[in-house]
Amino acid sequence: MSNSVISVISRFLEEYTTTTTNKLKVVDAYLLYILLTGALQFLYCLLVGTFPFNSFLSGFISCVGAFILAVCLRIQINPQNKGDFLSTSPERAFADFLFAHTVLHLVVMNFIG
Amino acid sequence: MDRSRLFGLFLVSLALAGAQALTPAHYLSLSDVARLQNLLSQQFTDLDSAYYSVVGLTKLGATVPDHEGVCQFIRSQLDPTSVDSLFFAAETSQAISGCEIPVSNETRDILLAAVSEDSTMTQIHRAVSALSSLGLPLVSQEVVGALTGRINKEDNVMAITSALLTAARLSQQAELGGILEEIEDLTARLDDLGGIYLQFEEGLEATALFVTAAYSLSDHVDMEPHMKEDQVIQLVNSIFSKKSWDSLAEAFSVASAAAALSNNRFHVPVIVSASGPATVSHSQPTLQLLVTDVMSQPLALANVLVESAYAVASKSIILSQAPFTLNDGVFELNFMSSQPASGYYQFTIAVTGDTRLVANHVELKVKVSTEVAVTNMDLSVVDKDQSIGTKTVRVDYPSKGKSSFTADSHQNFAMSFQLVDVNTGVELTPHQTFVRLQNQKTGQEVVFVAEPDSKNLYKFELDTAERKSEFDSMSGTYSLHLIVGDATLENPILWNVADVVLKFVDEEAPVAIQPKTLYVPKPEIQHLFREPEKKPPTVVSNTFTALILSPLLLLLILWFKLGANISNFSFSPSTVLFHVGHAAILGLMYVYWTHLNMFQTLKYLAIIGGVTFLAGNRMLAQKAVKRIEKK
Repeated sequence: MSNSVISVISRFLEEYTTTTTNKLKVVDAYLLYILLTGALQFLYCLLVGTFPFNSFLSGFISCVGAFILAVCLRIQINPQNKGDFLSTSPERAFADFLFAHTVLHLVVMNFIG
Repeated sequence: MDRSRLFGLFLVSLALAGAQALTPAHYLSLSDVARLQNLLSQQFTDLDSAYYSVVGLTKLGATVPDHEGVCQFIRSQLDPTSVDSLFFAAETSQAISGCEIPVSNETRDILLAAVSEDSTMTQIHRAVSALSSLGLPLVSQEVVGALTGRINKEDNVMAITSALLTAARLSQQAELGGILEEIEDLTARLDDLGGIYLQFEEGLEATALFVTAAYSLSDHVDMEPHMKEDQVIQLVNSIFSKKSWDSLAEAFSVASAAAALSNNRFHVPVIVSASGPATVSHSQPTLQLLVTDVMSQPLALANVLVESAYAVASKSIILSQAPFTLNDGVFELNFMSSQPASGYYQFTIAVTGDTRLVANHVELKVKVSTEVAVTNMDLSVVDKDQSIGTKTVRVDYPSKGKSSFTADSHQNFAMSFQLVDVNTGVELTPHQTFVRLQNQKTGQEVVFVAEPDSKNLYKFELDTAERKSEFDSMSGTYSLHLIVGDATLENPILWNVADVVLKFVDEEAPVAIQPKTLYVPKPEIQHLFREPEKKPPTVVSNTFTALILSPLLLLLILWFKLGANISNFSFSPSTVLFHVGHAAILGLMYVYWTHLNMFQTLKYLAIIGGVTFLAGNRMLAQKAVKRIEKK
């Protein structure tokens, strides 16, 4: 059983490194970073407590929001998805990404306290 | 059959409507009239105060002192070029005798010129009144034209009231019908408050002047104003509910309204009030009523009679169609001659004699009081098992029973008595018949209620075993008091009837009664402020902060490994501007966190964001072009 899991994972990693373009890998690295940051925040909250709850929430929501926006960006700039996004150029996707991030940061800064 | 039933129903509803007709809740009592006169008699310093004072006092029927002085004052203050000045002077001089205002042709011309559609309504009113008071000729039809034209332009309440007052000064041959209709229109604009008050939202002065104007014009053309009786009473309530007046003008308007309502050809509200409390008894057998107009002046021709009087408790009719006799300005009726039992009676009083009277059916609640006597007071100690015969002692009011009575747990103490009306001998059941037992040593009181039986004989029984909890089982000598009271009794009774010695079983040591400690200072409450939340030690926080920054390091390493670079960076102005703008936005976020509030941030964000957006748009467009070219 574990054998097949390991083989699946190694196969997946191999395919990933060969088939994904550099651009997408850059975005994936960013996604990993956001994920780790969010996970560490959550770990802190579990270990130490929720004292400034609003701060925890705003930080965590910021990570979650940034992750979602980055995933949207990745989907939209992936040339394999071009058929689904005929009217959206990669530049447009990036501009949307920036704008949505501005709004997200405004809200997060408001809530961070 | 149906027709007659409907008609009967109609009559009944009419009667009901009549029975529930409104009666004035407020009017000017003699002290109110005196206060009003006082306010109007103050020293006046200018012409309009003189007008309000002198004319106001005249309307109240009071005498104006020093006519000569007033006349000289008016003449000295008069400005013959001002319409207002002429108005005040002319009206005031009319109110006092022997005062002539010199009139020149110019004065007449100024006044006549003011009567046009282009002057304000106030100006027209004052000019016409001045012309009329000074005896100068004026053409009524022209005035009517000016008024009608002016009403279209100025249709607020005060303007139309002035128009009504002006119309009352014109010749009766003029076409005043159009202006007369304004009375009805204005009546519709009054605000009904709770069915009791009817007033303009502009206030008391407007309402009072409207009433004055309406009756003044109605009397002038001899046509009844279209105001229902209830509306008249509601107006009376509104105008006379205020008992102290803010300004001379307000006081003047109230005085004018009072004069108008007491003395016009159509509606004269009647005020019926009892002189003193509405109580009769054997010592005071006559019910005295004051029947006046709204200024507390007695009505000259009035017949007062009781339409019906019935007892509130039994609803039986005592009087019907009984007349009052006029005795020295007061209407009297000897009610005790009908021998009413004590209690409350509802009188329906009608005032007749003048068709103008309004609200002349009044309901009055009259109390008949009497004196009570306690008779047949019998005290006894009865054995519970009835083996030993009862020993009854009779005690007469107000003496006290000679020997004290003893009752222990095997015996009951009993008391019976009757309460009778001294004058008629009828048995009474007053509201308060209490038996109070007071411990002579400790001062503890226990109060019981004595109840009458079916034959109106009061009985009170004390079962010592059953009632020991009320007494806290404290044996001893108790003084027994009988308390009798009622609203219709003139002589309430507090009578120490006898002393009773009570013996309880399970006696506890007599404890002095503690009065309830309600009013001593209570123990102080220490307020517990909200504890600040426990914070984790700084080391932990710092560690985690460093930990959080570590993924950033990982990201940079990964990007470096992937070969992400900025070699494609073109230094075009839009690119530079975009990056600067974007950095500024991030900086703004930091500043927002530390210093600013949302509104300021949004303001700055709008500016920086706008710039960044335009630059970014440009930059991305350039990149897109480059990308398509590469393809």
